[in-house]
Amino acid sequence: MTKKSIREKMYVPEIPQKEIEKLRNSIKLSSKKAIADHIQRMKKTSANRPKTMKYFDEIADLFGQREKELRAAKEEGKKVIGYLCTFAPIELILAADAIPVRVSSGWYDASKLGDRIVPVEVCPIIRSTIGAKMIDLSPYMELSDAIISPLTCDGMTKLSEILSDYKQIWTMSFPRVKDTPSSLSSWTEEVKNMKERIEEFTGNKITGKKLRSAIELMQRATGAFRRLQDLRKGPPVIMGRDAMLVTQTSTWDDIKRWTEKTEALCDELEKKVREKSWACPQDTSRILITGTPMIWPDNWKLPALIEEASPQGVIVADELCSGDRLLNDPVGVDEWTMDDMLTAISERYLMASTCPCFTSEDGNEDRINWLLTKIKDFKINGVIYYVVRGCMLYAMEYTRVKRALESMDIPIYYLDTEYTREDVGQLKTRVEAFLEMLSARIDF
Amino acid sequence: MTVSTLITAGIDMGTQSVKVVILKEGKIISRNQAFSGFNPKETAEKALTDALENANVPRTTINHITATGSGVEMAPNSDSTISMMGADAKAGVYLIPSARTIIDVGAEEARGVKCDSKGRMLNFVVNERCAAGAGAFIEAMARALEVELDEMGPLSLKAERASPINASCVIFGESDVVSLIHRQESKPEIARAIFDAMADRVSSMVHRLGISPDVVLIGGVAKDVGFVASLNRTLGLEVLVPENPEYTGALGAALVANKRAGDTKN
Repeated sequence: MTKKSIREKMYVPEIPQKEIEKLRNSIKLSSKKAIADHIQRMKKTSANRPKTMKYFDEIADLFGQREKELRAAKEEGKKVIGYLCTFAPIELILAADAIPVRVSSGWYDASKLGDRIVPVEVCPIIRSTIGAKMIDLSPYMELSDAIISPLTCDGMTKLSEILSDYKQIWTMSFPRVKDTPSSLSSWTEEVKNMKERIEEFTGNKITGKKLRSAIELMQRATGAFRRLQDLRKGPPVIMGRDAMLVTQTSTWDDIKRWTEKTEALCDELEKKVREKSWACPQDTSRILITGTPMIWPDNWKLPALIEEASPQGVIVADELCSGDRLLNDPVGVDEWTMDDMLTAISERYLMASTCPCFTSEDGNEDRINWLLTKIKDFKINGVIYYVVRGCMLYAMEYTRVKRALESMDIPIYYLDTEYTREDVGQLKTRVEAFLEMLSARIDF
Repeated sequence: MTVSTLITAGIDMGTQSVKVVILKEGKIISRNQAFSGFNPKETAEKALTDALENANVPRTTINHITATGSGVEMAPNSDSTISMMGADAKAGVYLIPSARTIIDVGAEEARGVKCDSKGRMLNFVVNERCAAGAGAFIEAMARALEVELDEMGPLSLKAERASPINASCVIFGESDVVSLIHRQESKPEIARAIFDAMADRVSSMVHRLGISPDVVLIGGVAKDVGFVASLNRTLGLEVLVPENPEYTGALGAALVANKRAGDTKN
């Protein structure tokens, strides 16, 4: 793979190749173990785990089949375009016959390397993504020919600057207030510019026909995702971790194949519903998680704690940009003209998002409303508000969310943590006390 | 059906000491505590045996043992567990029925729990992984002042004014105390500064939870008159302190054991 030297390095120190290899091999090894361990534990937690989960268990291996496929595609001349944030318009990448893949890092150990460049107060997702790049850990990041970076939070903004030491980074400047006419028009401009950039870079013209089929491909993925979501509204037929893994694999899997496999999973789950074969007891507390994204594989700590706790909880929904927010909204097109399609894409990414980077005179209303709707639709008993230290926007918006939820008499618990395994004991105490409180509300 | 007397035990596996409470028909008949040490499991086993001996109750007659505390996984042969917050709520309301907010300040951790009239936990909050708002802080500071731990409280009550220190962290707190020593502040004033700083941390934690009266203070630190005085000043109210506040967690566990044993019997 050719490493593009974009410019003189501004942030990253020179690390001897030998040290890079040593660190990469050791983190890769522990990561493979972590992946296997998580899958094993997920299998253990779920009674009657769906057989169709097998596919997702395999594609969850970040150093497995998908890496090989991407390498092969590149050899055939295809481009891989990475993205750091869910605001990146994936349809444009697909329409240019390129492969989209999310490259944010969930490796705990890599965040310690990022500490060499930025202070520990910085969000660990950012530090970990930097660290992963320093030692070429992430196959998807390494295979990306360019990376789209929408400038949402402060961490993301500087991250793109730091990653420019290694990679071609395409920033997208982002409006912080969404409900003004100028916001949508400036964001639409960014989307249009991105289309041209991708076309120029890949050498493939994004025609109306190609864009339409890319939009339709993602609409089908959204359809499969929503079908899975509807199944989670009833008695627990799938454990939350399984559903969360399915959703997250869509960010690196081939999206067409992912959609087929998810539909197959839904077929199996529908059968289980008919047979009343549940994943856990029906009176298990139903939890919604919201807050900082949880990136596979290491940052699976909280979902594991909730579903392995005593008393047990089951995650039936989340409001995470690593989860339910990924595929919830389809691009809605009226007329299949190029202009309409681009505007529809722009609207989908801007208006449907509930990211806390937004504000307005009324505050981030959309997030509150979506949370309240989800709580009703998924019959949520309690909410865990999860924040990693340094994730300012989610931390600051907590008080408002808490107030809104209290008005509905929905218990919410704020849990802050780090990219580390060492605090699991303390977190367990808190999670179990919260679940105990919820089950006491049901029956004491 | 033979009606046997219901005997239950609660074990609180605290960070610094293990506490045991034995109940007979829901009434306390024995309590005991021991320094957790390096082998908390053994300590707890012995504390339980001693508590049973004191009450003249053979081990085999215990219907149910419930364990709680940060070392709950090290508890010997318990039948069930309850969270520390759940135990606090249960016992707090048992001891003081008007309790609606319970503050538990132990050796390494401070917690706040809101509860209803039945002792059900409604909400809780835990301090942020730093011992500055907990008993270990007083211990470290007593060492710096070269006074005994139980002298700290009475000493602080003699202070004529308050000097502020930063208790965001035990280590920083200690260096602040050293600067007060260098400024030749009196021991009572420094002692008061230490309790004020702790009370500030505990108070902002409880304010995040919201305060409903009556407020009950439990945990080992509740025995410290200096801390109680500072907390009352900071919160602007009088906290209620039950007898033997350090046994509250163990009592809560024993009460839960009593209920659980009763449920299985019926």
